Amino acid sequence: MELDHNAFVAFAKSWGLFYLIAFSIAVLVYVFWPSNRKRFDRAKKSILDDDDRPGKGPGKGPGER
Amino acid sequence: MPEFFHRKLERSAIGFVLAIIGVSAIGGMVEIAPLFTIDETVEEAPDMRVYTPLELAGRNIYTREGCYACHSQMIRTLRDEVERYGPYSLAVESQYDRPMLWGSKRTGPDLARLGGKYSDAWHVAHLVNPRDVVPESVMPRYGWLQRNTLRIDDLPRHLKAMQRLGVPYTDEMVESAAADAMGQAAPDSGFAAGVAGRYGEETNIRAFDGEPGRLTEMDALVAYLQILGRLTDAAHATDAVETGSTQDE
Amino acid sequence: MVAGLTLSERRLALVILTLLGLTGLAMAAGGRGDLMGVHGFIVLLFSLGVAWAVMAGFYAPEPGEERLSRYYDDPTRFGIVLTMAWAVFGMFFGVWVAALLAWPELTFVDQAWASFGRLRPVHTTGIIFGFGGNALIATSLHVLQRTTRARLPDQLSPWFVIIGYNLFCVLAVSGYFMGITQSKEYAEPEWYADIWLVVVWVVYFLIYIRTLQRRQEPHIYVANWYYMAFILVVAVLHIVNNLALPISFAAARSYPLYSGVQDAMVQWWYGHNAVAFFLTAGFLGMMYYYMPKRAERPIFSYRLSIISFWGITFFYMWAGSHHLHYTALPQWVQTLGMTFSIMLLVPSWSSAGNALATLNGAWHKVRDDATLRFMMVAAVFYGISTFEGSFMAIRAVNSLSHYTDWTVGHVHAGALGWVAMITFGSIYALVPWMWKQKTMYSPRLVEAHFWLALTGTVIYVFAMWNSGIIQGLMWRTYTDSGTLAYSFIDSLVAMHPYYIARTVGGLFFLAGAVVGAYNVAMTIRLSRQEGVRRDSAADVPVPHEPAVAAQPGE
Repeated sequence: MELDHNAFVAFAKSWGLFYLIAFSIAVLVYVFWPSNRKRFDRAKKSILDDDDRPGKGPGKGPGER
Repeated sequence: MPEFFHRKLERSAIGFVLAIIGVSAIGGMVEIAPLFTIDETVEEAPDMRVYTPLELAGRNIYTREGCYACHSQMIRTLRDEVERYGPYSLAVESQYDRPMLWGSKRTGPDLARLGGKYSDAWHVAHLVNPRDVVPESVMPRYGWLQRNTLRIDDLPRHLKAMQRLGVPYTDEMVESAAADAMGQAAPDSGFAAGVAGRYGEETNIRAFDGEPGRLTEMDALVAYLQILGRLTDAAHATDAVETGSTQDE
Repeated sequence: MVAGLTLSERRLALVILTLLGLTGLAMAAGGRGDLMGVHGFIVLLFSLGVAWAVMAGFYAPEPGEERLSRYYDDPTRFGIVLTMAWAVFGMFFGVWVAALLAWPELTFVDQAWASFGRLRPVHTTGIIFGFGGNALIATSLHVLQRTTRARLPDQLSPWFVIIGYNLFCVLAVSGYFMGITQSKEYAEPEWYADIWLVVVWVVYFLIYIRTLQRRQEPHIYVANWYYMAFILVVAVLHIVNNLALPISFAAARSYPLYSGVQDAMVQWWYGHNAVAFFLTAGFLGMMYYYMPKRAERPIFSYRLSIISFWGITFFYMWAGSHHLHYTALPQWVQTLGMTFSIMLLVPSWSSAGNALATLNGAWHKVRDDATLRFMMVAAVFYGISTFEGSFMAIRAVNSLSHYTDWTVGHVHAGALGWVAMITFGSIYALVPWMWKQKTMYSPRLVEAHFWLALTGTVIYVFAMWNSGIIQGLMWRTYTDSGTLAYSFIDSLVAMHPYYIARTVGGLFFLAGAVVGAYNVAMTIRLSRQEGVRRDSAADVPVPHEPAVAAQPGE
């Protein structure tokens, strides 16, 4: 197939838009998926733990040694 | 489904990496891919010639000294710019420019149509001390250009690299690059005839810095400045049609 | 520092340095008669210097296995010191070039190395790569370990990254003085320095990915997303933009693969995304960790931070062509760039808003704590400059602002107000943790630095806004008879007072950085005098009082 400039431009203009929309939907679905709430909450708070040693698994609560 | 997918993606850090590359690269690719075929949209300019070795050496001094930080070489399609500087720049005019020197800032004026606007002597005086010629100027002095002998031994390699990248230098041009550089700044020498033969009768062949005996960096830079906007007349051809209606608001 | 390496790592370090030294030797030999030879000697001396440091500590006792139960922070500490050194260096040259535009003779007359055109990339590279890059590497290694709860995979590779990266910066900056440049803005270093940066960057990326894979947290904290995007996309941008053909393997000179309009597009795709992924994404990563940490409040909305992350990653890539409005670039590419630049405002303001909302309820801390105030002001300036950026990307606005000082003002609102402020804020938060001090040596000097920095930024940005808009208007003003009203030199003369004001603003900012560097140095000295064990278990020796921790708003 002959790939000339106009073909590239047309592709960029049309599929670029579809890609953008599909992508935005995927991100929104991920962000608002109910079962993700817990892990986001944990991530949000876990950086505030004062514990400062590597290797603390997910099961333990913050502040434990 | 998307949720499962994303979680998996996130669990393996590699998947996450691929996602970032994918998302960001597609934007760049979609925008840039058409530009690899952009030569199809660039205007034709059959009269366009390449930079002579001396002009190319001058261009390299222009980049070395960072002139592009204060001078643009891109006249936009706006009425005031066309009236101030001349016909707006066409893509074809910079087709041999590696790298392009369109610039992003005008601390000094645009230089796209500088060639032929001032005499060689003016340029030399201006470069040695800009404030001798334009009292209000804030441009640096470039006195060392007058003192430094131009390096010409590596010019064949410069042209060779350009040739490999697709600039239409002939093998003969590559071989005689050093001699042509000398000849262009020494009109009375035996080397001068070859320059006109290879690069065209309209090539400027003069002692640019006023001293025919020595080939200095000043020679090269002035030769380059004098050719700016004059490699092709394509921009002047469209000028007649479009001046006055170029402000596309 | 060598004491932290195992014996086999010390040997490997010497092997790498030998190879590097030999490369330097080859460059010096092959490139004699060319400027590359000088760079060869610089590489050789650099490797010898580092090798000497390794040798000096070679027989120090090896670190025990217990090191694995602690984070590895030596490279971060080293990086912080380098960050402050580059800050002072880069800002000094910034003030100098600013002064040269007001008083062009304020230099060593006819010394090529001291002319504006060569000093200007020294300033931009010193700030972007020297100051910004070192800050990003140093903080990313800290944030990465804390958020994944995993130690760095080994001790040698982070050193390789931070020292190798600074070799790149040294090559870049020393090259400009001598006249080695590709003349691509913000990508000036020549081909061999570019290749070296790729090597360093691959190792940096591997550190990141190896640590992420060994993480003890199920979820990758959002700050790491931004750091990852920074590492990955900068790699792509750097490689694509710097593709070039050297005229010889023994010459510091190359010609880019692209020419003319293509080169322009690639260059500004790079240039704009360097702003996006070097000067924005990485520093947002910094903000998303150090701001909540310092305020002791979780980020306002974690979801919003994810949405803005993907928005920024996606939209920025399209926006580069707004640097080329009304040029010979095809119109549709210009329009696309403008559209996406405007859409960018959404994720940008989400990030800025998210940051400020995090502080909501902790305003008394912002009032009392200059460190947190640095971060708060950074978020405000991030909001201002992203709005301004989208605004300036509109074609009609751009026709006025392009080529003028307005662009310079915009860049500095971002660089001084956002990048430098968030960096200083993060460093002031990080230094006491890293050197086990309760606070910085002098909190009052932090306060002084804050006000110097803010004053300097405001003076600078207002001066450039004024000069840029006046300049743009003068260039397009017509007389009644339809001719241009002002010559170019008229507009230049009108800039003079603003150029002086700009220099004064820069001077304030530089003074702040000097105060900051002094404060960091004294904190380190204090820590050394007390003989604090830097690797003691606790990261923070509980700097916060419990009374402050419990907020009524929580």
